[in-house]
Amino acid sequence: MPKYAMVIDLQSCVGCGACSIACKNENNLTEGIFWSSKITETSGTFPNVRYHYTPTLCNHCEDAPCVRGCPTQAMHKLDNGITMHDPKKCIGCRYCMYNCPYGVISFNWEKPFKFWRDDKPVIKGCTPSPQEVVQKVNNGTATPYYNPARAETLSGSRSKGVVEKCTFCDHRVKQGELPYCVEACPADARTFGDLEKQGSEVVFLLGKFRPYRLKEHLGTKPKVYYIRNFNPAAYERTKGGV
Amino acid sequence: MKGRLLIGLSCLGILIGLVTAFRVFSTGFVLYAKTDTLVWTMPLAAYIFFSLTSSGLAFVSSIPIVFGIKRYEPLEKRTVFLELTVLMAGFVCLIMHLGSPLNVIYLLLSPNLASPLWWLAMLYGVYLVVLLASFWRIQTAHVSKTLSTLVFLVAIGTSTALGWLIGMPDARPAMNASFLTVYFPLTAFACGLAAVLLFSLAYARPSANPSSAAQEDLYNEVAKVFGIVIGVTLILFIWRAIIGGVSSSEVELGAFKRMMQSLSFQTELWLGLVAPLVLMLMPSVRVTTWGKVLASLLLLVGMFAGRLEFILTAEIMPMGQMAEGLPEFVSYFPTISEVFVAIFGLAVMLLLYTLGERYFNLDGTHEQSEAGT
Repeated sequence: MPKYAMVIDLQSCVGCGACSIACKNENNLTEGIFWSSKITETSGTFPNVRYHYTPTLCNHCEDAPCVRGCPTQAMHKLDNGITMHDPKKCIGCRYCMYNCPYGVISFNWEKPFKFWRDDKPVIKGCTPSPQEVVQKVNNGTATPYYNPARAETLSGSRSKGVVEKCTFCDHRVKQGELPYCVEACPADARTFGDLEKQGSEVVFLLGKFRPYRLKEHLGTKPKVYYIRNFNPAAYERTKGGV
Repeated sequence: MKGRLLIGLSCLGILIGLVTAFRVFSTGFVLYAKTDTLVWTMPLAAYIFFSLTSSGLAFVSSIPIVFGIKRYEPLEKRTVFLELTVLMAGFVCLIMHLGSPLNVIYLLLSPNLASPLWWLAMLYGVYLVVLLASFWRIQTAHVSKTLSTLVFLVAIGTSTALGWLIGMPDARPAMNASFLTVYFPLTAFACGLAAVLLFSLAYARPSANPSSAAQEDLYNEVAKVFGIVIGVTLILFIWRAIIGGVSSSEVELGAFKRMMQSLSFQTELWLGLVAPLVLMLMPSVRVTTWGKVLASLLLLVGMFAGRLEFILTAEIMPMGQMAEGLPEFVSYFPTISEVFVAIFGLAVMLLLYTLGERYFNLDGTHEQSEAGT
């Protein structure tokens, strides 16, 4: 059985956010919910400042605190290492969100796709209302850009009162395809593969470079690894002074 | 007259609660002060408050039966009934907290034994059944030692499992499970004593059986125990503040340091612990009815604020990608719907208790009721 992992090369990542947009399209995510996101930091004081960009997603931890805490096994591990969620079993207690040290689980506080339920046209007498567009495109069943492939392993779009998070695009992986964020990355900064398979790209990268994972000291054993870092800055070498 | 007024007020509270429930489950949780950082807010704090108070009442009701201190027997029936009503209030708040309460069936169909939440749900299920059986025995025959012991044991389980639940996350060191599994049962006991004093003295009809002098002695003794428990709680509370808030340099404890300046922390400390302790330390105040009632009321208000403080301490410092675009600490102020949830729970509890007071003769045991009729 494969054990999937992702390696993110921070030297290649340009911070364009294509992964986040691709993820939203592929997984029918509603407004305000990001399975693929980022952590940005600005360090130093002007003029000696630097901006750090770390792309983030569910870490699919081997010892996942969200899985340990879920009372109904709605949050569970698949044999291939993916941390999966079953919204049918979710009681909406948000204990997984409380337990997750990475802040990658979101809750549907209200019925999703509020915008597409709006019956007011953007320009009165000129454009149709979002609700009319939905009616015409999809017979009122889903948003116009709805991806039915997502529904093969998880509900196509999640309902009010349950949590949701990245699934490593398990529906695509099942078909032998890469997660869509990996596919969409224009810089090939994301590499996905099997940790158990000798000679896989992820095994090669983890051996070649010194990887790190987020909050490793917590012992959750994340399966998203980061390698390298981009820093073009140069400086005049001195010994400093007192 | 008092009973009718309370029934009227409780019905109004329940009506408000039902409207809030309809709005929350039809519109969504946007009616709460929700964010993906503050995932647990006042409805859950209210649940923790009521459920711990119920556990504390179980500790009080076990004094005459489990520990054999017979002079506490006159309190038994009222305390057991209070446990039930307070537990119901907790359940109401819990339902209003859950996003998909109908899916709780999966607690049975797909259990996760590693989850403290699963254990807590099971323990509360057992607690409710045992409590109902225990009250039924008191009402129809006599107190069952077996059932009372079971209630006591399950109450230890619920109050400590709640500490496990909130203290489990490794990423939130301010929520220390070892501390909470002691602090929660201790404060539960304090809340239980406060509820007994409040409902016996400010609410119930003064009873002529047993003699009022004996009853007064009993309440004075309860007030003494109450004072001791508040004192111990205050010591633990101060050490928590010193260890986690003053002497620690851990970044993750920054949230607790921040919360030490919050209204809920200060309310818990001054209103919930210091003020009632001072009242109970003064013998001239402690023997008065108003002194006991005021101290009880203050403690319960302070503890409610304390339950909110605990869960906010765990959440106000955003973590990981959820921290994007947010300040180092987020602030919380409850919405009117969240306040209505707490009122809903309180109203259910008051209505049930008022009806119990009216129909079950909570002043005495079955034998005393029989003798009186």
